[in-house]
Amino acid sequence: MTQCEDVLPRLDAYVDGELAEAERALLRDHLADCADCGPEAAALERLHHDIRQSAPIYRAPEALRSRIRFALRREAAASAPAVLRAPGWLAYAASILLAVAVGSGGTLMMLGERQENTIAAEVIESHLRSLLGAHLTDVASSDQHTIKPWFAGRSDLSPPAVDLAGDGFPLVGGRLDLIGGKPVPALVYKRREHVINLFVLPASQADRDETVSRRGYTLRRWDEGDLGFWAVTDAAPAELVEFERLFRAVTHG
Amino acid sequence: MTWIAERRRRSRFETVVLPHLDAGYALARWLTRNDADAADVVQEACLRAFRYFDSYREGDAKSWLLKIVRRTSYDWLERNRPADLVPLENEASPDGAAPPAAAVDADALLQSRSDLRRLNRLIETLPPPLREAIVLRELHELDYREIAEVTGVPIGTVMSRLHRARAALRRAWNGKGCR
Repeated sequence: MTQCEDVLPRLDAYVDGELAEAERALLRDHLADCADCGPEAAALERLHHDIRQSAPIYRAPEALRSRIRFALRREAAASAPAVLRAPGWLAYAASILLAVAVGSGGTLMMLGERQENTIAAEVIESHLRSLLGAHLTDVASSDQHTIKPWFAGRSDLSPPAVDLAGDGFPLVGGRLDLIGGKPVPALVYKRREHVINLFVLPASQADRDETVSRRGYTLRRWDEGDLGFWAVTDAAPAELVEFERLFRAVTHG
Repeated sequence: MTWIAERRRRSRFETVVLPHLDAGYALARWLTRNDADAADVVQEACLRAFRYFDSYREGDAKSWLLKIVRRTSYDWLERNRPADLVPLENEASPDGAAPPAAAVDADALLQSRSDLRRLNRLIETLPPPLREAIVLRELHELDYREIAEVTGVPIGTVMSRLHRARAALRRAWNGKGCR
């Protein structure tokens, strides 16, 4: 295999690293000696180098990523029950907010562990999704004797569904949502025109007790017994702190 | 709770497929030669991929997405720029035959010799089957088997297209012969 007519048709495969080692060695020997094939191979290598040097690196713009995630949501929603479908413009606006809130992520890092970050991001996403369409509540009631039995059998967590209407935080209902791949109860409260979603997960034992704010969304988490609470809202951070205080006072009492 | 299943499916899709969005965008960008058109094509391709996602089997998600992006790019070109899709002559012959004369603009080439950046323009003037072969090989760094998979042709055709693409680029880039 040292004839030029055998070597030339294999030069592309040679520079592309597609030849088996034995064949590759034969070609290498030939190229070292041959005044025709050697420069030919060198020219191919140079072209390969020039292309990689000069070609622009195209990357998908961030806006396209957001657009695609949004389009996927719509696509997924189209095969879900009609009640879940959101008006287009509202969903789009929310998807931008979501991209900003989750994508920037800096403050969420304060929560520390990666798992907690993921939960925080999912909690914010679920909060946004609950605002998108008609699916704020699966069970609309301020009566814990209605809400608690509704969750029984749907989730193995039984949230304390207390109404705080007397303190300006009326309970409007409950919803089954998905966090970390598991169905979890979410209690829905109102604060004037704002919604507070309170997600109930197993306690995480992490003794963090802090407020995270990002682009108008506020997140607080706390543990009580073997339940972990994640509250998220677009109301002011101080109102969420107040909500937590009232909620804990009632559920303790 | 179909929406929970639907949401799981979407979240799995985003985990498996979206990491390859840059690769998909780059291919669409080379084929459409335009940012806005590439974005439209990639979005459409992702929705198609999502619909076909049940047919995706664990394996090479990147090749799978590229294949769909490529198909979508060609559909888009057919609708919007059919003139781009002149069929390749002498497809079967693996020699170094020149691409169709119209595909490479000689004047543009003459001016471009000393300007490395103009090499991109030369790549863009290649007919799409040669262009995608060179882009997938040199920029996406796929091997022959993967290129064959993405473009849906036998490996022998991949080799002849790469050879033709390089011959055309070298002719235009360096003048006849080797540099």
